[in-house]
Amino acid sequence: MPRKVFRHFEKVNLRSPSMIVGWQEDAGNLAPKVTDFLNEKLRTRYFCEIKPAEFFSTEGIPVRDDVIQFPESKFYAVEEKDLVIFKSDSPTRNWYKFLNSVLDIAQYYCKIKELYTVNGIPAPIAHTVQRRVLTVANHPKFKKELKKYGLLGMEFEGDPSLSGFLLWVAERRNIPGISLWEDIPFYLRPFDDFRAQKRIIEFFDQKFNLGIDFYDLEERIKDQDKRIDQLRKEDSEINKSLRMLEMGISLSGEERFKLVTKVTELLEKRG
Amino acid sequence: MGIKLYKKPKLEKPDMICGWPGIGNIGIIAVDTLRGVLKAEGLGEIEPWDFFFPEEILIKGGRLRDLKFPANKFYFKRLPKRDLIFFIGEEQSMEYGKRYAEGEKAEEMANLILEVAEKFGCKRIYTSGAATAPIHHKEKSRVVIAATEEYLVKEMGKYGNVIPISERGGSSTLVGLSGILLGVAKNRNLEGICLMGEIPYYLAGAPWPYPKASKAILETFANISETPIDFSFFDKEAKDIEELIVKFFREIQISLERIPPEIREGFNKFLDYVINYQPIEPRPTTPGPITEEDKKEILKHIDEFFKKGGRDAQKGF
Repeated sequence: MPRKVFRHFEKVNLRSPSMIVGWQEDAGNLAPKVTDFLNEKLRTRYFCEIKPAEFFSTEGIPVRDDVIQFPESKFYAVEEKDLVIFKSDSPTRNWYKFLNSVLDIAQYYCKIKELYTVNGIPAPIAHTVQRRVLTVANHPKFKKELKKYGLLGMEFEGDPSLSGFLLWVAERRNIPGISLWEDIPFYLRPFDDFRAQKRIIEFFDQKFNLGIDFYDLEERIKDQDKRIDQLRKEDSEINKSLRMLEMGISLSGEERFKLVTKVTELLEKRG
Repeated sequence: MGIKLYKKPKLEKPDMICGWPGIGNIGIIAVDTLRGVLKAEGLGEIEPWDFFFPEEILIKGGRLRDLKFPANKFYFKRLPKRDLIFFIGEEQSMEYGKRYAEGEKAEEMANLILEVAEKFGCKRIYTSGAATAPIHHKEKSRVVIAATEEYLVKEMGKYGNVIPISERGGSSTLVGLSGILLGVAKNRNLEGICLMGEIPYYLAGAPWPYPKASKAILETFANISETPIDFSFFDKEAKDIEELIVKFFREIQISLERIPPEIREGFNKFLDYVINYQPIEPRPTTPGPITEEDKKEILKHIDEFFKKGGRDAQKGF
């Protein structure tokens, strides 16, 4: 007997929404923080989940900072903005069935017209510079957006991501989709990259007319900048490395290592 | 999820021969070589996306152009005495972080393979793989056999250079799809035989092929299908791999100061055995002049060496 992979909580009334997808594990915590931010600011409703048993190994449940980490795959909706948000851990097995399950809810229940995935990608850039957002789409309809919102088309051949797999499955089901890949300074990879979060949220704000208040996020960017500025003042080598990155000059392995170490020490102090 | 057949040839009670990647890629190299030598034709495939994470994406100008998955293909060959169907899987269906296929997905894959076998009237399935053994790489590899029925093991005994798995002593387990496929075949009343080429236990973690074992399996397949084939082209590759093995273990010997002193002596004995041993007849059944305890400790360290240096050494090769 086929197992039911969904657990529905609430009925939602959507017209022809867009869906934003974010995976829990991401460089600069970009996808989880963007989806959390939108969920909080838009007061979305959690209406459905995909049950983990078929898609995640539960042989051992990890504990991080004394807190159990159990796999989650949750759908949220905000009816007045006609928007669905899906936030999930990356499955460890049955990927194709998992992605089809996501799209079953999106297509048949929510009747989405398009999907967006959010992804961070470590890059040799400084946190102070304008971020690039590269895109990959499964449909030509997104071409106009590239120009309008200053997004760039990606060129790539190599290991696929779960977002790439999702776009491929979506294309087979005639669902237009686009992945947004934003540069994350390599030394911020395990930390929150607030500037990157703001860049992507601004895009969604303009695209979907969300009326987001960015004050909190701007304060966090200022705070993080201030802390890293202080480090620059205290350590001339770090300052030199960051200045080189700001000028687009690449660092040696040793310089990269020192920058990562120092920024990690700094940001781990206060989380 | 499903099977896609390109054609439906009429075959006379074919046998099916299956190969996947595994230790030393012994099985898949044997089966794929036989397929190539016999110029087998494409027959069909199992749609891969339900079993595998894709292995490559192609993006051009911001558009998703292609997503490639590991292939799982069937081929066929009509032969005077016995027709053959080949199944070659580029990957075993595995969960993230697992080394071998297991569980529901592997069983589903096995059932799909056997559906094709039954569709064309196959009664017998051969799988292939590796058997780690207390042999030296200068020695000839034998073919270790496990089967779904005892009479099949006896039948295989008539081919030279074949030993039943029970002769190796202790309990034995077939890991991965080779074992699962035979189990599922048994449940479907099909005959199943696994042919495993012997590989020295100290090369189980090596990232290189092991041609001697592949050749041993191929010779057995050639005997079974009564098809005279000259596989001597494997000998050159086997010789190159032997040189690579000696080079690799000489490098370990040079770096012995990093090994804890308490196991250095055992390691030295082991390296002397690997590098300098000359085969004798009859073949000894013990893994060289080292104790079981030494062996465990040494294997742990060899695996580390393979992880660190094996791939670089391979580049040179």
